Amino acid sequence: MTGRVIVITSGKGGVGKTTTNANIGTALARAGKKVVMVDTDLGLRNLDLLLGLENRIVYTIVDVVEERCKLKQALVKDKKNPNLCLLAAAQTRDKSAVTEEQLKDICDELKKQFDFVLVDCPAGIEQGFQNAVAGASEAIVVTTPEMSAVRDADRIIGLLEAKEEIKSYKLLINRYRPNMAAAKDMMSKDDVVEILSAELLGIIPEDTGIITSTNKGEPIVNDDDSLAGRAYRNVAQRIIGEDVPLIDFEEEAKLSNKIKKFFSKFLNKGKEN
Amino acid sequence: MSDNIFADIYNKILSLFGQNVKDESKNTAVNRLRLVLMQDRTNLTPEIMNRMRSELIAVLSKYVELDKEALDLNIGQEGEQMALMLSIPVIRAKDEAEIEQALKEEEEAKKAKEESDEETEAETSDEETSDESDETETSENESEGEISESEDGESASETEAENTEDAEIDSDDSLTEEDQPKKKTSKSKKSEPPSEEE
Repeated sequence: MTGRVIVITSGKGGVGKTTTNANIGTALARAGKKVVMVDTDLGLRNLDLLLGLENRIVYTIVDVVEERCKLKQALVKDKKNPNLCLLAAAQTRDKSAVTEEQLKDICDELKKQFDFVLVDCPAGIEQGFQNAVAGASEAIVVTTPEMSAVRDADRIIGLLEAKEEIKSYKLLINRYRPNMAAAKDMMSKDDVVEILSAELLGIIPEDTGIITSTNKGEPIVNDDDSLAGRAYRNVAQRIIGEDVPLIDFEEEAKLSNKIKKFFSKFLNKGKEN
Repeated sequence: MSDNIFADIYNKILSLFGQNVKDESKNTAVNRLRLVLMQDRTNLTPEIMNRMRSELIAVLSKYVELDKEALDLNIGQEGEQMALMLSIPVIRAKDEAEIEQALKEEEEAKKAKEESDEETEAETSDEETSDESDETETSENESEGEISESEDGESASETEAENTEDAEIDSDDSLTEEDQPKKKTSKSKKSEPPSEEE
């Protein structure tokens, strides 16, 4: 089979690339797809933590490249889902330990065995980014509705468009706060999409559950009650090709916002008097 | 649509309670971001913008008297299209005589500039030609080993030429091309190892 190699990138750090990777990967695996996640953030590996696999890693991508082990040996199976594997980054080496060519070879090899190869890209636009993108043919650009994240996403989109191998890219808006957007204290999804003029893959609401799920090493998609988890599962469905409508967080938020504000005004008035 | 009506009513109710509608910071963010991305996406650096600004001032000043300090040139947006926004506060329009005067001055300045350019050009071209002849000398030295051998007998006159050679290059550019190879051979002779003379 020939799987799809998707790089998850953002430019700016801290917008949720790795969280997105862990959750989309887990959701795809839950949907019955064979998925491997490749962490290319050499020296700053975190994907293993989000998946709760940090104690199972024996070999890393650098060991594969330097032929200390076979590719298959370095793949760590997920605790719950046998469809899901991780190829971890080395924690002790820097970005120069793996070249673009080597990463491309690894991706080419992996896509023979998996439906999806999700490449976790390091922040920045330097060699680490170039490496991560080398083997991919699709990209997910993660951003948040903040100016700096959107600006960096724009930069990344420019770089992706210049790459022949990248056939398509889609936008994922992370850490969305529908309440703030409805109150016009934050850019709305429409603002971000319009500014970047990119196709929207999904919106993930800000969710404190992300932190607790990371604490546990358990991606939030496994929590059926979580709104962010539901949003990630929808994103995975869209990647597979199903037409799942966006959750309209804003509509819900607007109403509750107005009611809340209206009453808070009354309350404040009462206090002042 | 219904939503807008809702929001309006809501705002009106708020203002009834003496509550001002707060300014929406997301609009500021969107506008700032649009501008900064516009600049990111083009290669118009602040230096280029400044240059463009000063050149525009120079052109416009011929026809109008303008407030140079207040002239504003910015990258903006016209719908989907990037646009250069130029705002020129005009103090007054110049009359015909003034415009003519300005054009004349410009013409003169242009001429003066051309002349000075020609001079500098001539100087630089002198240097270039002398450089070139140096180059051809060395290259011919390599290829004309035979000629230098055949001209063995001329060594006396050649040294004479050598003495004047430096002066000639500096002062006299009218050396014909035919003269040059001769001098070269003399040079090459000198530098060549004695084995050749034997």
